[in-house]
Amino acid sequence: MKKVVDVSIPLGPMHPSFKEPCRLKCETAGERVISAELELGYMKKGIERIMKGRPWQEVMFLAERVCGICSVIHNMVFIEAMEKISHIDVAPRAAYLRIVANELDRIQSHLLANYSFCYTIEHETIAMYLLNIREEAMDLLEILTGARVTCAFIVPGGVRYDISDDAIARIEGGLLRIETETTRYAKMFHEGPLIALRSKGVGILSPEEARRAHAVGPTLRASGIAEDARMHHPVYQTLEFKPLTRETCDCHARIMLRFDEIFQSIALIRQCLRMLPPGLIRSGGTCTRGEGTHFGEAPRGELGYHIVSDSYGRIKEISIQTPSIMNIEVCAHHMVVGVTSIADVMATYISADPCISCTER
Amino acid sequence: MSLLQKLKNSVRKRSIHVSFVDTASCNGCDIEILACLAPRYDLEQYGIYVHNNPRDADVLLVVGAVTEQWIDKLPMLWDKIPEPKVAIAIGNCAISGCVFHRPGSYTDPPVSKHIPVALSIPGCPPRPDEIIQAILAVAPIAFKDYEKKL
Repeated sequence: MKKVVDVSIPLGPMHPSFKEPCRLKCETAGERVISAELELGYMKKGIERIMKGRPWQEVMFLAERVCGICSVIHNMVFIEAMEKISHIDVAPRAAYLRIVANELDRIQSHLLANYSFCYTIEHETIAMYLLNIREEAMDLLEILTGARVTCAFIVPGGVRYDISDDAIARIEGGLLRIETETTRYAKMFHEGPLIALRSKGVGILSPEEARRAHAVGPTLRASGIAEDARMHHPVYQTLEFKPLTRETCDCHARIMLRFDEIFQSIALIRQCLRMLPPGLIRSGGTCTRGEGTHFGEAPRGELGYHIVSDSYGRIKEISIQTPSIMNIEVCAHHMVVGVTSIADVMATYISADPCISCTER
Repeated sequence: MSLLQKLKNSVRKRSIHVSFVDTASCNGCDIEILACLAPRYDLEQYGIYVHNNPRDADVLLVVGAVTEQWIDKLPMLWDKIPEPKVAIAIGNCAISGCVFHRPGSYTDPPVSKHIPVALSIPGCPPRPDEIIQAILAVAPIAFKDYEKKL
């Protein structure tokens, strides 16, 4: 069939629905999208170049600032890569506290992603509800780590602060509030007839396309493929972690999967707090020479760090593989194509949970 | 002072229109500004309204160490805002470049080199209540008796 392009519509770089600058160029026939192209480059800071030649004590904080939304997992994967290189053992209590911090971060990130989607389809009621309950998750993160966003909680061999019994009780109380509220909002989202019109059957990503284009994280799992880097993490294996999937492959499935994962994270945190062994939170050790790759599951998908360090623990070479770059390319080349209106292009793009600052670094 | 001027001063204190631009931050400050919209902080009870178009705004919130792409675009955006206007730099990146202002990076901080900045909020990232407090503090001073300053 011959392609007939009526008009090419650029969305961005500054767009109401984007948190960050990025340009999406859509070739359309009528309002139906024929193809889309991404234009990046507004956020390139060259963070990997800054990292080179610096000691791990500095790179640890830089790694956290690759992405501010999922800062805990960047910290965790970098430190675990350094531990792998230097053969440092983690204190058992600290290993569980890391999971608690990571899952709290995942809860707030997923709530933010779902807020963005609801805001994009102009359902401001659920959007504001979700943004409000996200503050509760940020409070819990603050109780545990002492900071809301960039907390630098994880250090080689352990974590920075211990948790008291009082704090455990407060975290459990907060989790209960998040669970009851989010159950309500998930039900509202699942049953809303107008939301279904905007999200069901929109932005379909078939399992074959997802596999071929290397989609990661919730975007992949909403297409029915159970892939999760957490399955290979030793502590998650003791918690008997199983990834969740959805089968309908559309925007609705992606958002509902994030709601499901919030409940899964809450269960994981409860399990960790129950199993928390007594003892020290830091085991000590020295970062040494070596080369290694480590993967972890960020809220948006698989995150990898490849590090070459020298005998003083300085970073000689580093490369970061972030999840968003896969997901937004998949979004531009598969999900957006065939969408019947420009308003749905935005909703589809946001449903992939794009994060430009970690895409470009 | 005329009655009209008094009225203008009092209205401008309670009706602040804000626009937001991200010139390559780590997203930390972005989400703290977003958190201000949450019902817990509730920007709009103070008369602060968030616009996506700079032509509607009085106050420009700038986040991030300025990258090469933004060097010419940031002053263009600043020119589009109607007078009286004011820019607020949020976060350490906008003030000094912080961790990104190192040899090898593609940034050109601070923001005050490119556009006039009235107020800076330090922090990595600053808390939402600090951001609200700063906007409320700068608006009455910057917009008071604007017609007389012309």
